Amino acid sequence: MPVRPNSYWGLAATTLVTVQNLILSLHQFWGKHGCLICQPYDVEKGAGTFNPATFLRALGPEPWRAAYVEPCRRPTDGRYGENPNRLQHYYQYQVVLKPCLDTIQSLYLDSLSTLGIDPRQHDIQFRQDDWESPTLGAWGLGWEVRLDGMEITQFTYFQEAGGQPLDPVTVELTYGTERIAMYLQGVDNVYDLRWSDDVSYGALFHDSEVQFSRYHFEVADITMIRTTFDACEAECRTLLEKGLVLPAYDYCMKSSHLFNVLDARGALSVAERTGYIGRVRGLARGCADAYVERRKHLGFPLLAGAGAR
Amino acid sequence: MIQPAMTQLAQLLEGFLANRRLAHDRIRTFGTPRRLAILVEGLAFKQTSTLREALGPSKAAAFDARGRPTKAAEGFAKSQGVGVGALETRQTPKGVYLCAVKQEKGLPAATVLTEHLPNLLQQLTFSKTMRWNASGVRYPRPIRWVVALVGARALSFDFAGVRSGARSWGHRFLSGATSGAVASQGIKIPRPEMYEAVLAKSGVVVDSTQRREVLAGQLTQLARSAKGRVYQVNYEELLDQAVFSLECPNVVCGTFDRTYLAVPQEVLIASMAEHQGFFSAVDRKGELLPRFFAPTNVNVRNMELIRVGNERVLAARLADARYFFDEDCKVKLADRVRELHGVVFHKKLGSLYDKTQRMIDLVGDLAEAARVPQKMALCRRAALLCKADLVTGMVGEFPMLQGVMGEHYAAHDGESVEVCQAIGECYRPRTPDDAIPETTVGRLLSLADRLDTLAAFFHAGIVPSGSEDPFGLRRSAFGVIRIVIEAGLNLNMADVLRQAEQRLAQQGVKAGGHPFATLRAGSGPPLRQFLEDRLRYYGRVVAGYREDVMDSVLARADDAACNLRDLFLRMDALQAITSQQDFESLIVGFKRAHRIVEKEAWTARTVDVALLTHSTEWTLQQVVETAGRAVGQALGAHDYHGALKHLIELKNPIDQFFDGVLVNAPETEVRANRLSLLRQVDDLFSAFGDLSQIQVQGQ
Repeated sequence: MPVRPNSYWGLAATTLVTVQNLILSLHQFWGKHGCLICQPYDVEKGAGTFNPATFLRALGPEPWRAAYVEPCRRPTDGRYGENPNRLQHYYQYQVVLKPCLDTIQSLYLDSLSTLGIDPRQHDIQFRQDDWESPTLGAWGLGWEVRLDGMEITQFTYFQEAGGQPLDPVTVELTYGTERIAMYLQGVDNVYDLRWSDDVSYGALFHDSEVQFSRYHFEVADITMIRTTFDACEAECRTLLEKGLVLPAYDYCMKSSHLFNVLDARGALSVAERTGYIGRVRGLARGCADAYVERRKHLGFPLLAGAGAR
Repeated sequence: MIQPAMTQLAQLLEGFLANRRLAHDRIRTFGTPRRLAILVEGLAFKQTSTLREALGPSKAAAFDARGRPTKAAEGFAKSQGVGVGALETRQTPKGVYLCAVKQEKGLPAATVLTEHLPNLLQQLTFSKTMRWNASGVRYPRPIRWVVALVGARALSFDFAGVRSGARSWGHRFLSGATSGAVASQGIKIPRPEMYEAVLAKSGVVVDSTQRREVLAGQLTQLARSAKGRVYQVNYEELLDQAVFSLECPNVVCGTFDRTYLAVPQEVLIASMAEHQGFFSAVDRKGELLPRFFAPTNVNVRNMELIRVGNERVLAARLADARYFFDEDCKVKLADRVRELHGVVFHKKLGSLYDKTQRMIDLVGDLAEAARVPQKMALCRRAALLCKADLVTGMVGEFPMLQGVMGEHYAAHDGESVEVCQAIGECYRPRTPDDAIPETTVGRLLSLADRLDTLAAFFHAGIVPSGSEDPFGLRRSAFGVIRIVIEAGLNLNMADVLRQAEQRLAQQGVKAGGHPFATLRAGSGPPLRQFLEDRLRYYGRVVAGYREDVMDSVLARADDAACNLRDLFLRMDALQAITSQQDFESLIVGFKRAHRIVEKEAWTARTVDVALLTHSTEWTLQQVVETAGRAVGQALGAHDYHGALKHLIELKNPIDQFFDGVLVNAPETEVRANRLSLLRQVDDLFSAFGDLSQIQVQGQ
């Protein structure tokens, strides 16, 4: 049953911004502005930054512009489907531009306008925010963008990734798709979102939240996961030695996710936690170094128009 | 970050203008999250011209025997662009030298600034900077435009890949953009003095003081109409944050569901402030109201949409806070203690579990030393539980709620009221202005926490040096001093500290060197000296005592007198008496006696009354005997004001003694007797402190 758009929320009467429409609009917008529309990467990860289309492509001198949706898993954020706003699995919309554009902030605001958010009716604030990913050995400066108090986008100029200083600098925009959609649809509960005209977010994902919350907090086999973490770490190192950086990076991502599961399961002491983070960071560094080497070996194919092929 | 940059910019430019002989009147700085600006009023159009002198070769080397200029003189004149005939001479300490005097003409301000402003901008320093384009310039955020004007003239230079000019940009959303979000072509600033007004018209209040006033005014008003007042504890911090996050300051007032008031109000306040930057409101009794004040960056006709949006966000935040609280309540604090094994206190000092075990014993020793053995069990229970809240979800989310949450959870677990309160007070005083704990158990627990930390770091040889104090040990020790003095706790710490160190050794914590021991001439264990140093700091800064007064008392500090409050009371009494009329001359007399007994050699003996020949000797002996008893009694009762009052009585007898007799009498027996009498005087004074440290300050 289609939901009547609520004109109170400043929506044009004819537009129903379903989650899928929102994603399509962003695809169209960024596609028009020269981004490759990429697809999600098929390994569990905590953030769109982990996708090789961001983490690896940010490294080295080759230019890169891409936009994609990324399913993200944050086991500790699970709330058994009971919190209106927190999910252990959700979708980020990720845009990366290297080198970054001078007009990127205005362009970003234009993208909000195309979604139907009129900046002159709302309070949009760019709040200073320093971003850091200890597992990826990455950091950057930027803003968190707030729409009437709600954080809807993380806006970061990457300075380092995998411990390497980045030049040219990549700018990363991470939209919280659910939050923006909630705003546009005027719903207070994420599960009430319309994914499409006739299917709700809850119908699609509520049970998954219940099941995975239970799994991560109560059931996950700690010993098995610890062992698997060790195995993934070892495999990553072996693959790096063999020069297979892309498969190696898959195992780096897997270890990171397994660490997140252990963390959610309450299996790690604070000291141990630090230790695990350091191990994942070690893998990320190894992959970053190897990736740049590999691209260099290939002659940086995307440099100076070489990317046409 | 913005405020310090404004100060820096003013300092840099002021120095630069002075250096470059550019006169000016007042300098003002402006700052918002998007801009940093400096306005120099009454700037001279040109540099003032000046005479510049350059020294050349010595006169001897500049002229030959016949007085004709040598090659050296000619070369110097040429290099300075003046004729040889125009060279003057100057007398210098090394002899007479040639000197070229040149008139340096002033350049236009615009020329000087165009050349040097880029370099000046580059000199600003920030704690965290980034790169964003090929210019490689580092700055806190990307620079998108530079406006530089001298009068109506726009200066043109390149900085960070941007060409300067007269064009600025107004408020991102309020500056009249017609469609979309991008605000058009920017706005032209006609003259520097119009900057503030032009930007105000584009929705930006560039003056941070004005933004602060607007926000403060609105907050007061909104709170009043909500029949309450703005919660003060985090007010200044939130206001600072808002002032420098907004260009167009405004506040909306929203509400949240009353049912959240069941969650401890510290949690709600933290959730509003930390996550959202919202101010809270309390009623006249200090109870939290279900309202919040959200600083916003726009002032549009219809603020409803913005208010409702902020309410929804907060509702989700509070739902999460309640989730943490409910989850945390499911596990008892007592059952969390073992999780502290996993939390590192310091890599050389074991886990928080180890610290907890030490604190349990230490607080027991303190209860004993403070003579409150009836509180022993409560103290030990509070010590066992006080760190357990560190592994709760809530403290993980809001670290500043440590202790506060412990108290709530302990109450939920059904711990006794005294234990709960003590856990809540464990970290007090958190700042120099914060009050010390109110309950006895809380005071002893806070002392135990601090003394354990101090003992542990000192044991491992990790001590503050110079301005380096990464573990806040000075702050910890200052807290110890404040608690002991302000709570009037009479306890000797020497044994407590010794046992604390023994426990560390028993736990296998390796002892390190003691660099601190070499810092100061004093004696005794380094930690005791460290505490005495903080006591001295307290005396200086809080109580306003004279240094020599503190020297007199601390010179006598040793293990037996390791009672910080007692030392403080001695200082207090001594400081009080320094303003009495006879004090100075008493000290003069005492010092004379002190010097003599230090210097002279004789066979000490009890004073033989039969050998007292002069009436002044008699009097002194009498007074010493009676005052001696009185001083002894007063000291025994810790009545230091009284003890000093009795010492003052010795003033006249001492003076008359020195006037009436010669100490070094020719008769050996008489001399020894008089010296022994003076020794008694000296001992009497020394029972209080080392009064020879007192500086006589003159009439």
